[in-house]
Amino acid sequence: MKKTIFIIFLAVLTFLVLSGCEDRSDITGIDPILNGKSGNADLTRFVVIGNSLTAGYQSGALYESAQIYSYGNLIAKQVNTKFQMPIISDPGTPGRMEIQSLTASGPVIVNNPNSGSPINLLYPAPYNNLGVPGSLIYDVLFATNANNCASALFANTPNSFFDIVLRNQGATQLTQLQQALAQQPTFVILWTGNNDVLAYATGGGVSPAAPTDATTFSQLFGGIGQQLAQSGAQVIVANIPSVTSIPFLTTVGPALATNPLLVWWQISLSQTASGLPATGLIYMSHEGGTNLGILPYNVGFADSASLRNSTTIVTLRGSAYAQLLGQPTGKYYRDFNLTIPLGVDTTKPFGFHPQNPFPDIFVLDPDEINTAQSTVTNYNNAIQSVASTFNFGLVDVNTLFTNIRQADFTGGYKVDGLTFSTAFITGGLFSLDGVHPTSQGHAIVANEFIKVINAKYNANIPTINVATIPPSLKFTGTAGKLSLYPHVSPEAFDRLFF
Amino acid sequence: MKRLLLVFIVVFSVYSINIFAGGFQQNQHGARAKALGGAFTALANDPSAIYWNGAGLTQLSGTKLMLGTHLLFPASSFRGVAPSKQYSFMESQMFTPTHLFASHNFDNGLAIGLGFTQPYGSGTKWSEDWIGRYITTETKLQTFILMPTIAYELFDGFSLSAAFIYSFANVLIERMIPQSPFEGDAKISLEGDDSFAYGYNFGLLYKPTEWLSIGGSFRSEVEYGFEGTATTTGAAQLIDRFPKGDISANLTTPMNIVGGLAVNVTDELILSADYQWVGWSSYDVLAVDFADENFPDASSPRDYKDSYIVRFGAQYDMLDEFSVLGGIYYDNMPVETERLNPSLPDANRLGFSMGFIARLTENVSVTGAFMYLRGEQTTVTDSKENYFPVTGGFVPFNGTYNSTAKILSMSLQYDF
Repeated sequence: MKKTIFIIFLAVLTFLVLSGCEDRSDITGIDPILNGKSGNADLTRFVVIGNSLTAGYQSGALYESAQIYSYGNLIAKQVNTKFQMPIISDPGTPGRMEIQSLTASGPVIVNNPNSGSPINLLYPAPYNNLGVPGSLIYDVLFATNANNCASALFANTPNSFFDIVLRNQGATQLTQLQQALAQQPTFVILWTGNNDVLAYATGGGVSPAAPTDATTFSQLFGGIGQQLAQSGAQVIVANIPSVTSIPFLTTVGPALATNPLLVWWQISLSQTASGLPATGLIYMSHEGGTNLGILPYNVGFADSASLRNSTTIVTLRGSAYAQLLGQPTGKYYRDFNLTIPLGVDTTKPFGFHPQNPFPDIFVLDPDEINTAQSTVTNYNNAIQSVASTFNFGLVDVNTLFTNIRQADFTGGYKVDGLTFSTAFITGGLFSLDGVHPTSQGHAIVANEFIKVINAKYNANIPTINVATIPPSLKFTGTAGKLSLYPHVSPEAFDRLFF
Repeated sequence: MKRLLLVFIVVFSVYSINIFAGGFQQNQHGARAKALGGAFTALANDPSAIYWNGAGLTQLSGTKLMLGTHLLFPASSFRGVAPSKQYSFMESQMFTPTHLFASHNFDNGLAIGLGFTQPYGSGTKWSEDWIGRYITTETKLQTFILMPTIAYELFDGFSLSAAFIYSFANVLIERMIPQSPFEGDAKISLEGDDSFAYGYNFGLLYKPTEWLSIGGSFRSEVEYGFEGTATTTGAAQLIDRFPKGDISANLTTPMNIVGGLAVNVTDELILSADYQWVGWSSYDVLAVDFADENFPDASSPRDYKDSYIVRFGAQYDMLDEFSVLGGIYYDNMPVETERLNPSLPDANRLGFSMGFIARLTENVSVTGAFMYLRGEQTTVTDSKENYFPVTGGFVPFNGTYNSTAKILSMSLQYDF
């Protein structure tokens, strides 16, 4: 009897213990896995065509830890389709920008002295990501290597990214578009044209001296659209976001206007005393501006209010020289190996005297801003027209960016618990070059694409939780020095492609 | 036999309606109590009575010493953050709450005891890159108590006890901080201790007849004032901005009120049951104050509510020198799901235990116990925990928790 009770007791307890161990992990099941398809959208052979934005270029370089967050790759992961990229190992080529220090008076940004190398060169087919940093709309149709791209032909600057991405050798020379079509794509994203106006804006309206002509743009975009339409692929195109609201152009001017070391009313008083027609920052101007009668060049004037409001823009590339304002210096001419122009006297206060004006190349004056903005509008009209002609999906990146920019003044753009702004560095949206999005910025863009795909093709691709994408601004390991402005070495932008 | 069956029916019904319970509160204070699922208040017949019910000391003859330890292996998993169903597993750790009890009976109704044990002695650890790293990577709370106890048998079968609790404790809280918009995470580590906190206990034991005993126990709140330091490791460029320096935090462990019943069904079989009320509402907020005013004080609402634990135990004396024990207990989750947090993945918990008592010699006996604790799978859809704590944002930490624990216990008793 005793033993019976004991055995029953143990048996029941054992049963209870074991049943307690049962793994009930599959109670809620798992998500259905997409295989490149969702609804009517078929991304089984998925190609993206574009420039640095498409390539996943960040902080002035193309490198693996940024490329894997390029919007194309993010979309491909959401639909679980193949996506091969021209991966370059960290810290990329050229060595990416990194933050050396964050001081109370400003961040110090330097280039990583090392550089990475391509690690996917032998992939035996065209890449799915055909974004080539620096590519213009002309290049999508015509460029096949570093030496026949637009920058090589028209500015004598070969762009080796064409060789890295397109890998054309021997007689077979295929353009970005041809490599896309060669894959018999089921789905194509085309986002190009940014550089056709962006380079004009970031170059201070000097180099290049004009954006790609809007009519030319329209024809080229139509040509690309037609070929894509004939391929039978599903196509999504994206338009061009405003180029004048990026941190590259909105950071330095307001910093100058509010710098306590620059007492603008005193500067203005002394300039008035010299009999100048207007006061403020004095810059050389190759198109507009005023001819003072005694100098062989025109100068423009920007008071502190117009700097603050970005009605006259000083580019990020000029930040190193903005720190020299008021000093008797010709550093700019020395740095850039330029002959001092006739009439310039570098013993005069730099940027405050007509005889030592701030360089034209770092300033986008009101006329140039107008040119840039109206060009964006014209391009976007052309893109929209092509999209409707061929029944392409259209991602309105311009409106997205306008909304984000407007949210700057109302507490920031909130998504998935994060708050973004277009502010340089602190905004979280733009990488250290002030032009290209961060990894999280790419996720925001990717979600816009996904929304358009879902709407147009009755698909149900899940959007990306932006909070799951890691922040991507990099630090260096070394200590920094004090700086009043984002201190970006001018060379950092020498090889910058967009 | 019929009564025995009844117990198991109760056990099964408890299991089948899927109720399973909480906190860092440990109830590991002696293997015998463990083996009985903790239903020990009305028995209190070994020196661990000092913790469970000091009034039980009057039943013990002569001088006894008891030393033991527990090996505690907690395990938890989290699936999420919803809608993701990605699995994260808590890192495995072992905790060893240890106890030492001594009792002496003066044989004139008066008995005294001294106990040392760990009412809280557990922790959680998650990897530094897991999805919930901004909520927690490591949490550890250890409290130690020293309890001088005095018990007196007022009249035949009715005893009362009182104890003073001296306690010291330490706490560790670690989590990651996003360096957003910069890549990488920083790690903040808060460590503190309190070398003096106090409380008190009362116990009651009444045996109206030979086969029935009734027990009661009251354990007071203990208020800890932790003092310590915060350290942060992260990017050199940001290090000035991270919170650090001296910190202080207050934590009050809950009041416990327990009532128990034990029945000698036959000469060989004893059944016992306990109902324990836990005043978890003392844990309403976890606040950390930084001495340096540049760093904002951190305060996170915990909003625990009072809860209870129900325990059943059985002891069967197979031989004079050998007894087997079994127990079951249900512990009700003291926290709302909206505040459920992986630093302490609470759940309604059901525990099963079994064990033995072997009297090796005239003076030495050994008790062993094994307990398996299963937490009810808990899915949170209304979380108020923010897993990406960047200014202005809120992402609820919704997902599914599963937890279990295994506890091995061993106590050695020596009768002088």
